Amino acid sequence: MLKDLSHDLRVTPSRDERTRQEFVASLRNHILADMAGSMRAHYERRVLPAFQRDHGRAPVDGDEVHDAMQEERYFRFYSSIRYNAQEMVFRSVIPVVDRNLEDLNARARQRPGSAVLNPGLPVPNNVSNIDVHLSPGSYHSEYELDDVSPGAIYDNSINVFAFNQMGRDIDDIGHSFANFVRLAFPDFRPRSILDAGCTVGHNTLPWAQTFREATVTGVDVSAGLVRYAAARAASLGVPARFMQMNATRLDFPDASFDLVFSSMFLHELPLKDIRAFFREAHRVLKPGGLFLNMELPPNNKMQAYDRFYLDWDSYYNKEPWYKPFRDQDFGQLCAAAGFDAGQFVEVVVPRYTYTPEADFIARIKQGVRFNDRTGRLGEEIEWYAFGAWKQVP
Amino acid sequence: MTKPATVRKPRIPLNHRGKRPRFFDASGTDELMSMVLELTAELWVVKKRLYLLERVAGQAGVPLTPEIEAYELNPSEVAELDERRRLLIATVLRSLEVDQAARSQVREEMETTGRVA
Repeated sequence: MLKDLSHDLRVTPSRDERTRQEFVASLRNHILADMAGSMRAHYERRVLPAFQRDHGRAPVDGDEVHDAMQEERYFRFYSSIRYNAQEMVFRSVIPVVDRNLEDLNARARQRPGSAVLNPGLPVPNNVSNIDVHLSPGSYHSEYELDDVSPGAIYDNSINVFAFNQMGRDIDDIGHSFANFVRLAFPDFRPRSILDAGCTVGHNTLPWAQTFREATVTGVDVSAGLVRYAAARAASLGVPARFMQMNATRLDFPDASFDLVFSSMFLHELPLKDIRAFFREAHRVLKPGGLFLNMELPPNNKMQAYDRFYLDWDSYYNKEPWYKPFRDQDFGQLCAAAGFDAGQFVEVVVPRYTYTPEADFIARIKQGVRFNDRTGRLGEEIEWYAFGAWKQVP
Repeated sequence: MTKPATVRKPRIPLNHRGKRPRFFDASGTDELMSMVLELTAELWVVKKRLYLLERVAGQAGVPLTPEIEAYELNPSEVAELDERRRLLIATVLRSLEVDQAARSQVREEMETTGRVA
């Protein structure tokens, strides 16, 4: 059964709407656990041997596996069902948000939290030109004056999308990496933290909850998300400020932050914007500060089949930048932005919310290890992140 | 004749922009897949509604609708419904599972619980 979001901006579905959301969450679990397992078996039993017969070798990358899978009936059903399930995530949430639109916006106005808007800021093409991951209206469309519905749609959708695997308020990624930093670098006490492309701030607040002395700031290009994130934080009683800002042109002085974080952000950006954001991150970091991006793992560390599997979203889910990003050498991306090559950081962690702290620490000590659970949503998932320390001159 | 109540017009679009990909060569198969999945979702909604209706009727009687909206599932009922929903999905999609072992496992689960469809 799906849990309601715990904050006061939650919208309450009718019993039947809730049941439909639960169905979609279960369907996604079936696709990503059961069907994904069967699809891999089909690949190994039929597609891979046929490819080896024709080419005298195994596929070397995700594109070759993807091409080989085109004629596999199971893959077509998997893709069709997964695509429909993605549409159904939003279809199960939007009518509830829509019906509560005026009430929701009134609640957000009543306790707005700390939001700094910039009405002149253009919405970048990668957000406005496509409905990213099949979300109607993308991240930014507004339907009322001072609307928070983009945030409500996102928050409630990922609650269905995550089928209870991403934390109580879909905040496990934030908790996992805030606690990773706390436990892995006990001498590093960040006092100013930036979360770039923060959407509803679900992974921003865990930084304020973990480092209570720190000032925590989230930025996003969407006014609707910024308003919602600020009101959500106020409702949860967690101090954080949210600002409408483009991460590729940050409106902060040099050396403003001890830590610059992002999560599930880079894969929605064109490569030129990733490079611009990395240069900005380097600029606004203090010497000795940490840059850390939670993301899907890089293709060059994965087996061909796992590359293909994770790149599904890029082929079919209206996330065109997902694969071009994952094809990069992440160390080189950091180096090109000015980070010292020797300061590269890469980490794989289990989910903090679901793992006893002793086991969490033990897993960190085992170091970076990539497998078919890395970045793949399910009970066994491990999160990946990379970045770099900014060198002290 | 009574005038129909004013219905609030939805403001947020339900459909994303752009073409849907085609996964199948045979015309209409993609649309059929959407129909089957939406139908399955609706079927589940009805099944759960009925489940609740039966429980509430046994307890209280009229008026049923507010009772159903308010009914609190206990943990074992939640677990039972979670399992039924999982099984419904596995059943509707079982034709895709050419693996004989997987098939017989679904059949076995159906017989054991005796509650599918």
